[in-house]
Amino acid sequence: MKRCTIIGKPNVGKTMFLINFAEYLGAKALNVDLLYSDGTKNSINLSSKTAVLRLVDENPHKTRCIQEITLNVPMGKGKKKIKIVDTAGLIDGIHPDVDVRKAISQTLSIIRDSDLILHIIDAPAAKSKDLPSSMGEVDYQIAQFAQLKRGYAILANKMDLPAANEGLDKIKEEFPGHLILPISALYKRGFKEVKAFVVRNI
Amino acid sequence: MNNVKDKVNSPNQIHEMLINGAITPSQAIIMFCELDSCKMPPVRTVQEESLDEVMRELDQLIGLTKVKYLVKEIQAFAQIQKKRQEAKLLAEPQVLHMIFKGNPGTGKTTVARLLGKMFKHMGILQKGHTVEVERADLVGEYIGHTAQKTREQIKKAYGGILFIDEAYSLARGGEKDFGKEAIDTLVKAMEDYKDNLIVILAGYKDEMEWFLQTNPGLRSRFPIQIEFSDYSVDELMEIAKMMVEKRQYKFSPEALAKLEKLLQDSKNDKNYDKLGNARLVRNIIEKALRRQALRLVSQKSISREDLIQIKPEDISEVPVN
Repeated sequence: MKRCTIIGKPNVGKTMFLINFAEYLGAKALNVDLLYSDGTKNSINLSSKTAVLRLVDENPHKTRCIQEITLNVPMGKGKKKIKIVDTAGLIDGIHPDVDVRKAISQTLSIIRDSDLILHIIDAPAAKSKDLPSSMGEVDYQIAQFAQLKRGYAILANKMDLPAANEGLDKIKEEFPGHLILPISALYKRGFKEVKAFVVRNI
Repeated sequence: MNNVKDKVNSPNQIHEMLINGAITPSQAIIMFCELDSCKMPPVRTVQEESLDEVMRELDQLIGLTKVKYLVKEIQAFAQIQKKRQEAKLLAEPQVLHMIFKGNPGTGKTTVARLLGKMFKHMGILQKGHTVEVERADLVGEYIGHTAQKTREQIKKAYGGILFIDEAYSLARGGEKDFGKEAIDTLVKAMEDYKDNLIVILAGYKDEMEWFLQTNPGLRSRFPIQIEFSDYSVDELMEIAKMMVEKRQYKFSPEALAKLEKLLQDSKNDKNYDKLGNARLVRNIIEKALRRQALRLVSQKSISREDLIQIKPEDISEVPVN
């Protein structure tokens, strides 16, 4: 089964994208596997509404473990199974909390053996420097690293907010040569293009 | 940081440093990047064969003296046309549609492929690929279908060579056959795309002659006609030697003698022109390799020499039918 990993800085909307993208692809309920950094595993079954309440938070680093969903992606006349993986946010500096550092280490190892990488960048925050979700050093490194992979796309998220378009221009300027898809994870905008990209690469 | 980097040779080490707070995630990614890119095989740059290499490839083909001569002629002409263009003289783009006449296994397809590559290097064709088709790829099942199918193949071949094998079969069905429609579409396309498409019709000599007679307009549209004559036994032996050498095998002297006799006998076979020439040689060799494998597989100890050598008992007739 192919593995599609969602990565990005904290608070860019990785988990929100996972939940809403799963719903967009026709998943009725989400069966989320939680893999913790100490090796334990937990499975929970949520509807997408409760998933948003339980898994998404305004504070950065809500997600501290790997959250996996197996989905059926409609492809042509049939369907194909794909694992979509949500990860802990990557930061520029060194995080004081050891649990977060462990989660980040886990994230990096997942990135290394995934087939597809969806790199989410917060578009409205792209111009500012001080928000936890604004674009930083780690984003450039991800883009560099992900070139080694077959499928890599940058998703410019939060396109529903004002000033997002300027941010999108900035992202396009900073990452030339990469596929950049504008989306709004909250309102499920731009998902058609993301789906097309995923289908193309599995 | 730099001295830390040198020591890293396993991903676990990087993870450890990351968890201990020794490095930032970006630094970790850089290290992974280096680690992974070392492991990855270097990306092989696709190198285009140069014109010289293609010409050498052509020269290596055994026999085919007429073909080689003609190719040199075309090459010279193309070069001179270019020079003329530079000198602001009138330069006609030459019509290079061709007819290849000859029995199977005389190298028609091989030459067509080489021509494609060559024309690309000479700037005559854009892509230089060869699309090989036969009647079934061009002729449709109902009225109107044929033109559509033919046009599809032409589109595929655009920028390269459309090689139609057994082309005479397009005219075989008589007046009402759809093959005629395919020819008409083809002729039209040849005019429309004459700058970037070369059509090669191939087939048996006699049949092709008949084909050209049934369509009087065709002959003038294909100014270049090349005849691929049958190979002599000596040439076939050369081909056989080259084929086994390419596969890293070798004939024993007795095996060579047996092969020669076999080829000599097959010349007298009435079906020779159907499955003869280089194709017969290839079939004999492929069969010999299988028989050699069968002989060796039951042997207790197999030396390197055994693996290479083909003995007379390996060579057997291939039914010509």
